[in-house]
Amino acid sequence: MLSEIVFYVNDKKTVFSGNPLTRLIDVLRDDLHLTGVKEGCGEGECGACSVLKDGKLVTSCIIPVGAVNGSHIYTIEGIRDTEKGKCIVDAFVEGGAVQCGFCIPGMVMAAYALLESNPHPDDEAIRQGISGNICRCTGYDLIVESIKLASERGGALWEK
Amino acid sequence: MGEMIYVPTTLEEALQIRKETGARPLAGGSDIMVQGKRGIGLCPELPYSVMIISGLDELKGITASEDGSVTIGALATPSEIASSSIVPWHVRKAASGMGAIALRNTATIGGNIGNASPKGDLPQPLILLDAYLVLASERGERTISVDDFIIGAKKTALMDDEIIKSVVIPHSSFTYSYYRKIGMRRANAISKLSLSAAMTVQNGEITDFRASSGAAGPKVIRSRSAEDIIRGRKIDEIPSLKEDFLSAWNDAISPHAMPEYRRHTTRRMLEYFLDEISRGAEPGIIGEE
Repeated sequence: MLSEIVFYVNDKKTVFSGNPLTRLIDVLRDDLHLTGVKEGCGEGECGACSVLKDGKLVTSCIIPVGAVNGSHIYTIEGIRDTEKGKCIVDAFVEGGAVQCGFCIPGMVMAAYALLESNPHPDDEAIRQGISGNICRCTGYDLIVESIKLASERGGALWEK
Repeated sequence: MGEMIYVPTTLEEALQIRKETGARPLAGGSDIMVQGKRGIGLCPELPYSVMIISGLDELKGITASEDGSVTIGALATPSEIASSSIVPWHVRKAASGMGAIALRNTATIGGNIGNASPKGDLPQPLILLDAYLVLASERGERTISVDDFIIGAKKTALMDDEIIKSVVIPHSSFTYSYYRKIGMRRANAISKLSLSAAMTVQNGEITDFRASSGAAGPKVIRSRSAEDIIRGRKIDEIPSLKEDFLSAWNDAISPHAMPEYRRHTTRRMLEYFLDEISRGAEPGIIGEE
């Protein structure tokens, strides 16, 4: 039986000893002040709270912290200053992918997970890669274009 | 104050907690966390005790056996299932169409079966393939078919001291296969209706024929008596048997909401599958571009 949950957030060891049913998003935002993780629907449908758990895209609003013991979690704060993270963020800025910005941290995490598994996705693969991330401003086209730009600009970066 | 939450680290420990407290297993949490949702910054609350079993290695992995069956651990996610080359096509297809990427990385096959939602995506192909569950308790293990395990909407035959350990899919080899899920959009859609069908043909004889309907009633529907109308007959008899079969299947399903739509669409899908075979379709997947 675990009495405390030990996991890593953006490479920093985190120990949680409260109710294991606490939502991961609340630990990230309220305890660790990682407010780039946004809450939209709170039901795992909109993707605004997307983070990487052991390299895989997940929505942190439907994951109890008790399910992440031993896991490595990365949020937008943990990737934005990496080479790959910068590549996506710069492409989003250049491509005009951002309007209100609320969905963008989750969108960047989805793009990151996509490019990690598929360095040169076509339009359809990009749309599938962000199909769990809802944006109510842009109509998606500029986001899709920006992810394509990140794939081109990053080049070999994504093949590592 | 909510009920007790446990985080066991081994199956043995989980079975002990299950027996002593009756705490219900939470595997991925994608259904349960939404059920207990109270709002931003608030810990979900449930009217029952819960044990978070995500960390149990005994419930992970997908393996093939010598007899051709495939065992999927209860904690396998739709992503793992969809990308496994040893999992039968119908199940991979259903897994790949669940939710969107993040959900497919979070949900589990054990949870999808245990939750027993009439709209659940995985029970439908599993019931088509005569899959069964291995249920573990401190008393030992027992097996039960997925069809018998799911009694109705949100009702299962799981005993208070049991945990779903794995799902076993017996070997099958079909000449023709069909799967279709109908939802409001491609990503994150709850099934409005789903259908699997499969047929094996040897020398013009239909040696196996099955279908299963999801989201068309309180539980997945398979009508063996309707299947028997076609099974064992010749391929060129399909046109003359079709109407009897379609009408028997229509009688077997029991849609509560939008019954006309569900009956009509189910009929159209089954008819398409049979017509394509009658017409001499290439063996393989029917209706896939």
